[in-house]
Amino acid sequence: MSEKELGQKWDRCLADCAVKFGTGLGLGIVFSVVFFKRRTWPIVFGTGLGLGMAYSNCQNDLRSRYVLHSKVAKEQ
Amino acid sequence: MAAKILPVFKFATKVTIAGGALYVAYDSGLLGDSKEGSVTLGRAKAAIPPAVEEWMKYFGFELHATPKIEFSPLDAWNSGVQKSIHALSVTPSTVSDYTKQGLQYVKDLTK
Repeated sequence: MSEKELGQKWDRCLADCAVKFGTGLGLGIVFSVVFFKRRTWPIVFGTGLGLGMAYSNCQNDLRSRYVLHSKVAKEQ
Repeated sequence: MAAKILPVFKFATKVTIAGGALYVAYDSGLLGDSKEGSVTLGRAKAAIPPAVEEWMKYFGFELHATPKIEFSPLDAWNSGVQKSIHALSVTPSTVSDYTKQGLQYVKDLTK
């Protein structure tokens, strides 16, 4: 992986982290207000979910270069 | 009859609101891949200034222009790393030079 490609991947990771954090926070607030009587834990849970999704996406993106791909040949 | 329907209606409304929020988040690509996430962030950044301007016009007051900070943390960090590593690499020769100078000074004093 070249330096430029790695830099772009990290940029995408950070942008995705910000987006998922905001989305998790927003959805957590919505669920907290609508279902859980304005408690704090749904907000924290939603934020944590968002950050976890961002981490997982980052991990897959950074590992994608080194993943082996194979096809199963059909028996004729 | 109405007393029985009302809680069901309230619950259905809540489910609709929460489900709608979840669907909007999914549909706009906020819960997807990292590429989709960065595309969505770019779109949001482009959409915010016109939206802020419209709201300002609607309410009839102006925001002060945000001061532009001409500082790049990336450049500062990179130059810091380069300077530190350069300093580390010249340390042995610098130390030996100063040691020689010090020894020479002491020799000159004892003469």
